[in-house]
Amino acid sequence: MTTRLLVPIAGLALLVASSLPLPNAPLHAQAQPAGGQIPRAADGKPDLSGIWDTPKAPGGRGGGATVFDKAKMAPFKPGGEALFYEPRTGDPRHDEPRAFCMPSGFPSAFLGPYPIQIVQTPKYLVMVTEFMRVTRLIPLDGRAHLKDIEPTFYGDPVGRWEGDTLVIDATNYKRWSLDDWYYQNPKEYRMHTEAFHTIERLRRTDANTIAYQFTVDDPKIFTRPWSVDWEMKLHPEWEKTGLYEMVCNENNRCEGGNCAKK
Amino acid sequence: MRPRMLALVGSLLAVVVVPLGAHHSFAAEYDNTQPVKVTGTLTRVEWTNPHIWFYLDVKDDKGVVTSWGFSAGPPGVLQRRGIPKSVLKVGEQIVVEGFRARDGSTNASGGTVTFTDGRRVFTASNEDALPQSAK
Repeated sequence: MTTRLLVPIAGLALLVASSLPLPNAPLHAQAQPAGGQIPRAADGKPDLSGIWDTPKAPGGRGGGATVFDKAKMAPFKPGGEALFYEPRTGDPRHDEPRAFCMPSGFPSAFLGPYPIQIVQTPKYLVMVTEFMRVTRLIPLDGRAHLKDIEPTFYGDPVGRWEGDTLVIDATNYKRWSLDDWYYQNPKEYRMHTEAFHTIERLRRTDANTIAYQFTVDDPKIFTRPWSVDWEMKLHPEWEKTGLYEMVCNENNRCEGGNCAKK
Repeated sequence: MRPRMLALVGSLLAVVVVPLGAHHSFAAEYDNTQPVKVTGTLTRVEWTNPHIWFYLDVKDDKGVVTSWGFSAGPPGVLQRRGIPKSVLKVGEQIVVEGFRARDGSTNASGGTVTFTDGRRVFTASNEDALPQSAK
């Protein structure tokens, strides 16, 4: 308890000592250009580090899960709708694999009601969600996508800076849920194919906000790529404890909703 | 620390319950057309991931005791909300409101817990269901 108390006290002292003009600026901010609003790292890039709330529509509050708005989606290709909607069958292993501790995949793991910590270095952007501590290690060195690899739940992301915007391009996804079982339609949920390609554009617009544009490109389902514009909000107060541990298998005593057998 | 903790708990009054799953789909496991409200004695607390569980002995009019199990939020989510493990004390009488499991058992989601002194804590999974006054 004493150690836990010392951490926020030390952090507060650092905040005061740095004399940042904005009270909610992150503790790790290393440079503040004159008249500038956004913290920058030592290499001059905007610093995206910090603990952030889940991406939401601008103005959205709270920690609720985010789902894609159907109205934002491109039209289906012929046959695309059947690939997109996965009917629920009543078998929880099919309908809700997360209940058996299977991965949520990207992006759904990062759309739930859990904080996301970003750690930025010149070589990597690290994104960790408290939800099962899923981690994305995104290289920023300009490398190409991996070739001849098996598709995965979280894909193969590579990042690059376009001015002050960080662009993350990811491919090599396994066919899996698009926006999760947070999508609550009792008859179906929504999937992407193995052709899924995502483009994220992160731009820190002020000390507390990342404008987060998410583009879905699934040429087997949609006639064209389509995008949503979300925001991530900084929560410096969550730095006091950091992300909590979340382990699916620790006491998953009601898997698939079948509690009675336990 | 303790007074602060109690103040936080006290601020979580006037709760609106919008049960949604966080680790897995609420709809797959619980029936939102089957709300339950039971009063009983807290017998066990499993303050573990991915969801805490707590158990009540509930006595009916004939004196028959039934054990109920309630699944609530992940420990980290509750802690960030200002609800530590010490809030739930074995032996204490509490009222729990939630929704029954689809399997017909005496398990349910544990949306809110009300203590004998009137304090109420929001224990469900989804942070979005927090009352505005608690944010």
